[in-house]
Amino acid sequence: MTPSDADIAASILAGLGGVENIDEIDPCTTRLRSLVKDPALVDPALLRRAGAFGVMINGRVVQVVVGPRVDTIASDLAELM
Amino acid sequence: MVRARDRGSEHKYLAVRAYLSELVANELSVGDAVPSERSLTERFGVSRMTVRQAVDALVTEGILERAQGRGTFVAPPRADFEMRLTTFGEEARRRGLTPGADILETAVVPAPRTVAEALDRDVATPMHFVLRLRTADGTPMSLEETWVPVDLAPDLLSDGVPESIYGALRARGLDPTWGEETITAADATPQERETLQMQGSHAVMRTSRRTFGGDAPLMYSRASYRGDRYSVFVPLREARPTLVPRTRASAPAATTPAGRVPEGSPR
Repeated sequence: MTPSDADIAASILAGLGGVENIDEIDPCTTRLRSLVKDPALVDPALLRRAGAFGVMINGRVVQVVVGPRVDTIASDLAELM
Repeated sequence: MVRARDRGSEHKYLAVRAYLSELVANELSVGDAVPSERSLTERFGVSRMTVRQAVDALVTEGILERAQGRGTFVAPPRADFEMRLTTFGEEARRRGLTPGADILETAVVPAPRTVAEALDRDVATPMHFVLRLRTADGTPMSLEETWVPVDLAPDLLSDGVPESIYGALRARGLDPTWGEETITAADATPQERETLQMQGSHAVMRTSRRTFGGDAPLMYSRASYRGDRYSVFVPLREARPTLVPRTRASAPAATTPAGRVPEGSPR
């Protein structure tokens, strides 16, 4: 039932508007802080469905709360980017 | 030896203050009286007002405390609570302090919007609500509001408010495993000042915390900690490397490996 971290990483990337929309992603202890090119392409509902515990958007900065799995998700994101 | 610098009252004030700070740090113990105003006046050759100014500053900093009609004494040290997933009681006990709580309010309430969003519930979902005054060795330390969804633990408060809500959640198989806390500096409201018995500084630290057990939000809490009795201890570690798309990380024709999580980078 619980999606794998790799699936979560793929869904998060999609929710952020795809790899083309990413300037950078900064993995923090419980969050991914992303700088996106176009915030209009970000889909908060998709990010929540992907397993995010919260999504904060401020201009081009999108914070996705993912909890302590951030390490493995960040590694999976690196593969996908 | 006292080295009263003779460069105006500003320096005299600083000299008295530095002398008292040194005394507290090296010679006096918690609860000891500090030298009287009169003896400090004589010792430094300064006015009573200058002495009072220095003492006031240390009271505001929480280094000294006044007891009405009895004098000025060395205050207990600030509690340096680490930012981690523990409760007030656990943190206090680990510092040799005896935790206490006055239950000021307990009820089942409909979730306000902020609480509902933090706990991933609909607005007005029934929540256990507790308002507590937390004390350490009998001294008021913080005012804490807590919300837990009733659907998670209907009988959470049926035997009264447990000493540790985390403990009560664990007893129901709902172990807190991670969380996020935000800390903001603020001025205490008049009610907070009264309840927390704040005499000097009005500064408080307001925190809001979401506590999770795995994927499930378990508890939302907000607290106001006395700025003069409480320090925050935050362990730091190296930041993880930033991820950038490989299309930009590498030159068009280059074959640089992708991503940017180097081998052996800190977790």
